Amino acid sequence: MRVEYINPFVEAAYNILTEVLGGEVNRGELYLKSTSMPVMGVAALVGLAGDVEGRVIFDMNMATAMKIASKMNNEELASFDDLAKATITELANLITAQAVTKLHDLGFRFDLTPPALFTGENMEISDHDVEALIVPMTTDQGKVEVNVAIRDRM
Amino acid sequence: MISKQDFPAINERPPEGLKPDGTPYKILVVDDSMFVAKQIGQILTSEGYEVVGTAGDGFEGVEKYKEMCPNVDLVTMDITMPKMDGITALEQIIAFDKNAKVVMISALGKEELVKKALLLGAKNYIVKPLDRKKVLERISSVLGK
Repeated sequence: MRVEYINPFVEAAYNILTEVLGGEVNRGELYLKSTSMPVMGVAALVGLAGDVEGRVIFDMNMATAMKIASKMNNEELASFDDLAKATITELANLITAQAVTKLHDLGFRFDLTPPALFTGENMEISDHDVEALIVPMTTDQGKVEVNVAIRDRM
Repeated sequence: MISKQDFPAINERPPEGLKPDGTPYKILVVDDSMFVAKQIGQILTSEGYEVVGTAGDGFEGVEKYKEMCPNVDLVTMDITMPKMDGITALEQIIAFDKNAKVVMISALGKEELVKKALLLGAKNYIVKPLDRKKVLERISSVLGK
């Protein structure tokens, strides 16, 4: 996978998480996964199709998702209900919109799917023939992994 | 007895959401995200505006506007929504009431759609993530305050 695809997502994740959470956000070391990988419990997935194709996952555990949703709503949410789900979905929308604007400025043309939210334990994701680059972002609410698997259209 | 007049006023500024006659401006919020609708509602009600209705898609937004008109002073309109998008809903609202005040709520990267909306009669736009100050400035400027 070309690294130029991931940088806009990392920058956008950093900018948006800093803006909506109002705290310190740190970027961890990028790593590569080429086989199926576990996801942490709450994963928002956005699909891309056009000049490039693939998907981006924003992955976090349930405790982090609850803390982020509570922070973004300025109130303690008691359960991962429809409002909490809409909040994490919106977070994925905000990050993706900013990243895609940068990729469009670089000349890539593609469409996005609305985010799909997956919740559950012991989930794994497999992408055939696409390696995924993962960037962990540490926030005051916990770790959010930006997991990008994009390739040029064959 | 201590009356209100005995205390110095800390904040003389009246809430932006009130008309000169003291009644609140009435807002219809059209957005498919429960989170964004709630966020807009919180920002507006904190300044005295009244959210008189919400709609989860463009079609419902148009229906509610027609039903409530003329008791809606301003509509906030998301762009990407199921059933009917915000641009089509804007067109239908303007066709029904050419003086409708509609403010578009857009994600980043939708400049072309925002331009189209402004040409079709939207009065202003706000790019997400929503910032309280920005939301209140844009809405009060549309209401001519």
